[in-house]
Amino acid sequence: MSAESTPLLTVNDLVVSFKKGRQVVQAVAGISFDVFEGETLGLVGESGCGKSTTGRAIVRIEEPTSGEVAVEGRQLTGLGRSELRKARTSIQMIFQDPVSSLNPRRRVKDIVAEPLDIWKTAEGAERDAIVREMLEAVGLDPDVAGERFPREFSGGQCQRISIARALVMKPKVLICDEMVSALDVSVQAQILNLVEDLKAKYGLTLVFIAHDLAVVKNVSDRVAVMYLGRLCEVAPSDDLYALPAHPYTQALLSAVVEPDPEKAASHVALTGEPPSPINPPSGCRFRTRCPKAEERCATEVPELREIAPRHQVACHFPTLRA
Amino acid sequence: MSNDTTATDAFPQAEDLSGPLLTVKDLRTTFSTPRGDLTAVDGVSLELGRGETLGIVGESGSGKTVLSRSIMGLLPRSKTTQSGSILFEGTEIVDAPDATLRDIWGAKIAMVFQDPMTSLNPVVRIERQITESLRLHTTMDKAEAKATAISLLGQVGIPSPAERVRAYPFQLSGGMRQRVTIAIALACSPRLLLADEPTTGLDVTVQAQILDLLSSLQAERHMAVILVTHDLGVVATRTDRIAVMYAGHIVEMASTRRLFASMAMPYTQALLKSTPRISDPSHTRLTAIDGRPPDLINPPTGCAFAPRCDYATEQCRIEAPPLRTAPEDPTHLFACWNPLQTGHAGTVTTAKGEL
Repeated sequence: MSAESTPLLTVNDLVVSFKKGRQVVQAVAGISFDVFEGETLGLVGESGCGKSTTGRAIVRIEEPTSGEVAVEGRQLTGLGRSELRKARTSIQMIFQDPVSSLNPRRRVKDIVAEPLDIWKTAEGAERDAIVREMLEAVGLDPDVAGERFPREFSGGQCQRISIARALVMKPKVLICDEMVSALDVSVQAQILNLVEDLKAKYGLTLVFIAHDLAVVKNVSDRVAVMYLGRLCEVAPSDDLYALPAHPYTQALLSAVVEPDPEKAASHVALTGEPPSPINPPSGCRFRTRCPKAEERCATEVPELREIAPRHQVACHFPTLRA
Repeated sequence: MSNDTTATDAFPQAEDLSGPLLTVKDLRTTFSTPRGDLTAVDGVSLELGRGETLGIVGESGSGKTVLSRSIMGLLPRSKTTQSGSILFEGTEIVDAPDATLRDIWGAKIAMVFQDPMTSLNPVVRIERQITESLRLHTTMDKAEAKATAISLLGQVGIPSPAERVRAYPFQLSGGMRQRVTIAIALACSPRLLLADEPTTGLDVTVQAQILDLLSSLQAERHMAVILVTHDLGVVATRTDRIAVMYAGHIVEMASTRRLFASMAMPYTQALLKSTPRISDPSHTRLTAIDGRPPDLINPPTGCAFAPRCDYATEQCRIEAPPLRTAPEDPTHLFACWNPLQTGHAGTVTTAKGEL
């Protein structure tokens, strides 16, 4: 990790498990990563890999089973309810479904102002001015949009409202969980561009969770790949996509379709689907589908280690650069 | 594309093998809603050859799904009015009696939907869901139908099909369920498969598996496929031709290579430019399309894309552009008054000359 700055968000050995009947499912099985100030960390993986649970556990919507989450050196894990509520003003979350994450019976200006009202951060004219500023920042006309209800807006506009609400407390960190996956491509592009602009304007630090590899590459400075509750590979975006070292990252990238008929159709390097997290494979969790798996992979869990500057991989047999 | 001299023996309806498999002419599908009439498909014409793969691309509300359901004859009769014609192997689908549709559904045209969990019956074993159409449309007895079901499950890549045939949908993963819906669709060897966003809810690796599977099954069976999707990536490498839809109209249609090499319609270009690409460096600024698609209950006069189009002129706002052919390629159709210059010498200038 880079030595010049201290991380703003630190996740250390995070474990989240759920009870399913008598069984225990480890959705997140001990992951650690840092996010530096002003950075966007992309978190990718297929459904069930634990990426959303990770995001939710960071803000403690999902209670972590063990491990630590710290923002600006302050532990979020272990805080009591009221302390947690206070601490969470600096870390906000944006969800996938923009329509259901807004209260249908409140006006947009009140939805955006709610955090201010709860914390009494601003009242009266000051409060209204902040709301106006936020609505303008996300590209909505405050005079037109403020008085309306969420149902009068399209999905993309509702997502803009969610962003305004998340930013109104001037958070340091924004956790975006599949925030554009419900949107059409033309609207998705609007929102992705908006996120980039707001990040620059407000100096935000982002954890951007998504399954779409092209979307994640577009917004991220670094990308972390998850498989069955563990991190496989973490690297700067351009490096990860150009020189993936983990066989799973390679397989994921080979499956992406590009809008270009001159490029060969994607081919599937992987067969089958991820095994159940209830009874994950021993050793490396990817070994059952890995073309490179050997005996060692079944007995020894590969630790995340650095193979190049800022490029970490959890594999016994990574593809190293020439 | 449609070249079927080799497969003639396979088809009983040999008389019209020379013509297209499917001809849609000036199809208009209108729903009556509390707010007024909504024309979801507005004057669509297209032809599909035997064994051909046509991609229909568009954003939500473009009419792509309504078009595919109209072709299948699946829309509810009440509150839906249709005009125009859909000829499938000589049979008219628009306003066809139920008996006609029953003979076609499953046997000649089959459909794969986006969400396999809602298109499969949750309380019926996989076996009966596959054999249902076999027993209805063929003379197979129960044992033959079961054997066919097992073989179909094997063909769509389901491991240990003899056991899985006894499973219920909830016992399978999303990817496996979609394979089952494909097996059901293929049971009676349809001539046309309508796949409506068949991979949209699936993970990338599973998506690639399903698309590979569809391509290989299609080639084996010489089946035509209409692949409906919002994803230009999915259609780029897996279709012969592409129709781009916007606000109920086909706004551009061409062979896949031609479309990507020299698209004429600004909307097609805007759609492509707003799609993030894995080959672009991180933080590449996307070209978003401002605004949103028009309200189809009160459609704008003129070109429906004009309010969002960088190239729009006064004429675009007044007069809707007709679908016309590119001078250098008669199979390339587009609806635009100010088509993009495609970079080749002497392209589409004549279109502008009509101004």
